Amino acid sequence: MASAANTNLNAVRETMDVLLEISRLLNTGLDIESLSICVRLCEQGINPEALSAVIKELRKASETLKASENCAN
Amino acid sequence: MATLDQKSPNVLLQSLCCRITGKSEAEVAHQFQYAVRVIGSNYAPTIERDEFLVSEKIKKELLKQRREADAALFSELHRKLQTQSVLKHRWSVLYLLLSLSEDPRKPSSRVGNYGALFAQALPRDAHSTPFYCTRPQSLALGYGERSAGLSASVGTSGISSLGVYTLNGPTATPQSLLAGQPSQSAAGSSQTLGSRLAWALPVSCSPSSALAPLAIRPPLGPPVPSSRVVRPRQDGEVSEATLVRDILYVFQGIDGKFIKMSAQDNCYKIDGKVVLCKSLRDTSSRLSELGWLHNKVRKYTDARSLDRAFGLVGQSFCASLHQELKEYYRLLSVLHSQLQVEDEQGVLVCTESSLTLRRLLVWMYDPKIRLKTLAALVDFCQGRKGGELASAVHSYGKTGDPQMRALVQHILSLVSNPILSFLYRWIYDGELEDTYHEFFVASDPNVKTDRLWHDKYSLRKSMIPTFITMDQARKVLLIGKSINFLHQVCHDRTPPGQITAASNSADTPRDAAELLSDLDGAFQEKIDAAYFDTSKYLLDVLNRNYLLLEHLQAMRRYLLLGQGDFIRHLMDLLKPELVRPATTLYQHNLTGILETAVRATNAQYDNAEILKRLDVRLLEVSPGDTGWDVFSLDYHVDGPIATVFTRECMGHYLRVFNFLWRAKRMEYTLTDIWKGQMCNAKLLKTMPELSGVLHQCHILASEMVHFIHQMQYYITFEVLECSWDELWNRVQQAQDLDHIIAAHDLFLDSVISRCLLDNSSRNLLNQLRAIFDQIIEFQSAQDSLYRSALEELTLRLQFEDKKQQREEEGQWGVTAEQEAEEKKRIQEFQETIPKMRSQLRILTHFYQNIVQQFLVLLMTSTDESLRFLSFRLDFNEHYKAREPRLRASLGTNWGRRSSNM
Repeated sequence: MASAANTNLNAVRETMDVLLEISRLLNTGLDIESLSICVRLCEQGINPEALSAVIKELRKASETLKASENCAN
Repeated sequence: MATLDQKSPNVLLQSLCCRITGKSEAEVAHQFQYAVRVIGSNYAPTIERDEFLVSEKIKKELLKQRREADAALFSELHRKLQTQSVLKHRWSVLYLLLSLSEDPRKPSSRVGNYGALFAQALPRDAHSTPFYCTRPQSLALGYGERSAGLSASVGTSGISSLGVYTLNGPTATPQSLLAGQPSQSAAGSSQTLGSRLAWALPVSCSPSSALAPLAIRPPLGPPVPSSRVVRPRQDGEVSEATLVRDILYVFQGIDGKFIKMSAQDNCYKIDGKVVLCKSLRDTSSRLSELGWLHNKVRKYTDARSLDRAFGLVGQSFCASLHQELKEYYRLLSVLHSQLQVEDEQGVLVCTESSLTLRRLLVWMYDPKIRLKTLAALVDFCQGRKGGELASAVHSYGKTGDPQMRALVQHILSLVSNPILSFLYRWIYDGELEDTYHEFFVASDPNVKTDRLWHDKYSLRKSMIPTFITMDQARKVLLIGKSINFLHQVCHDRTPPGQITAASNSADTPRDAAELLSDLDGAFQEKIDAAYFDTSKYLLDVLNRNYLLLEHLQAMRRYLLLGQGDFIRHLMDLLKPELVRPATTLYQHNLTGILETAVRATNAQYDNAEILKRLDVRLLEVSPGDTGWDVFSLDYHVDGPIATVFTRECMGHYLRVFNFLWRAKRMEYTLTDIWKGQMCNAKLLKTMPELSGVLHQCHILASEMVHFIHQMQYYITFEVLECSWDELWNRVQQAQDLDHIIAAHDLFLDSVISRCLLDNSSRNLLNQLRAIFDQIIEFQSAQDSLYRSALEELTLRLQFEDKKQQREEEGQWGVTAEQEAEEKKRIQEFQETIPKMRSQLRILTHFYQNIVQQFLVLLMTSTDESLRFLSFRLDFNEHYKAREPRLRASLGTNWGRRSSNM
């Protein structure tokens, strides 16, 4: 599997590039690392609907938290 | 794919949480728990696993944001992605990206709400599930593998599958966590379904869930406020959204997941096992009727549209049904796209604008009525075709509902299109292009041209559309028939455009709808105009080129003995021929005599065309017949004229001629008798012994003359002239050939019946024949009487002459024996006189008997003119005095009158 991975390294990088580009096009707000995590999750058969819901929730939560922290500070 | 290391999803999820919130692992514990729950509970996606669909959606989204260039760029990138085989779940990734995408121009309005919600909710979760804080890796997110089979069997909807999972659990799922909190109800309505369910999950008890150990434990935190335990939701209930999706399929006649065609009830039914509240069940069953109606219409069109024998009218009916169905499909596609838009927005659905069963019920109300009408039409039109079909559709247009009427009117205009085009072809070109026997004019190809007018074309009563009246249909038949008659029989090659002015104007079935709406006006006008023009043209052609009226007059002059001088002369010339036995007559001799008679009389000035057709005909000879019995004039008819003077008509004419010829002969005979009497009266004065006999003869002869004169008067004035006058008036007023034919037939019929030639007056005719026979017999008796008398007279004169001569010579005038011989002869002659007298008496007796019987029959006849004839014949009541029967019947009729006199 490892040798196959090496030969496919370029392909993987390319794929990630393409996906990043699409993500940028769609204005998803994901950085390369989050994107790669998401892709991996998806590849494991996670429901993308749920995943997207989670991400949105997480963002909002962090925003509110930051906001409340700012207020507290 | 291999390079994407197979880390546990939980680990990945945790790092994702850290990454997004920018906090350390410990800090994001709550968020992580929430994420795990959401992911775990929404394992099966609610959307199609179709990469293409997702990519299309993305493109649409980009286009919606007016970023065409970006859309193109995306297609490019997507193609590149497709060439790589690294990703297994490309659609999944793309879908994720799509749902995360945001319109850069639109600031997210809901962030604040969500944020607040999340912030409030988190502490609560923290209370109830402190368990998860520590070891995220231990959480089993591989839950999908176990339940995959189950979820697949239930369908793609994550929501419904969730419902099925909870079936196993004994406790109810709170309908909404947020429903009890008024401050958050607004947020709740815009809350995503997934997250809401996720919030609810900890309270529900689902043994198959990975969260089971957590759920079994009683809540550790503060007791849940009672307001949060809301009305329990029924187990296994199907959500409305699922039903809507199902219904949309049912609308097209496709079985849904829950709503299926039930073969035994012949309707769509919701699966009985599905738990559903009654109102939803009712609504959806009401809606699913549409599917049934759709199937019905669809089945009809599918079955008929390929059936060529169904005909053009049927095809256009199917086409119009298709058109209606297309409209219906368009509506369905709009609904579908609405549903798709909701899917596209995924879980971010606003419930206010979403499809609900109630909305559908309202929206589908009109289509349902339309479909119902169509289905009823289809039912009603089953097994009908052609004009019958149009009638059926038309009868449905008689409704008070303007919308329905408009619909039926539209279908009718399409359906009647082919009929109208048949009709126009027929009335303007006389062509019948009715391959499938749909038009109401039928043509019999076996009929030859000589019977074209009478037999070739007929009306198919059942195919006359109800919006065309019988009168119009008849006119239509007549118009086309006239055109065909002109072409095929009259060999008239006038283009139809010159016959009718109307056909020049653009008369296409385009304006079928207009015509249908104005059947009594424009349509009637059009047909009337075509009828008038065509019929007039036909009559013109017949009169101008084929001398129809001249032929009619010729019939009267020659066959009905109207040309008196000609007939008299002909009879004079024929007399020596006709007294011979019929077997010795030769047609060519008679034809020669006819020619002579024509040339000698006014007939010679007649049209050569007519004289050419005049001919002699010998009827069938039976033994003992004389020439008088078999002689007949004939008139040859052919071509278009033969349509009026058909074979039957000519047969009638010959019978009438025969009768008239006989009556004429009697007149002729009586004239001869009278002539003989006048000539011989002076001569026979010298024979006083004859005076009694001669007187008898005179009386009988004048009786006969009176009878025949009255008969001739009746025939000529009461029968022929009256009927002829009627015929002529009718012919002058005739609008079409049918009128002329009808008038002519009527004329012949009345002549036949009043000349006692029909079956009902057979007795009268026999009496009349007997009278005629008596006249003939009387003629021969008188002839022989005169012959013997004249012979005797000449002998006597010779005797006297001889006597005189001898006396002049100075001899004895007569010798004794000569005188004795003379006396003996005279004696002998005188002895024959009583024999003659008795013969005459017998004749008179017979004759009067027959006349009396004839009068009795006349008296009892129903025809008024015949009763008048009897009055005329017995004007001085001579016969009444002799015949008691006559007296009785005369008494009833004339009693009052005679008493008055």
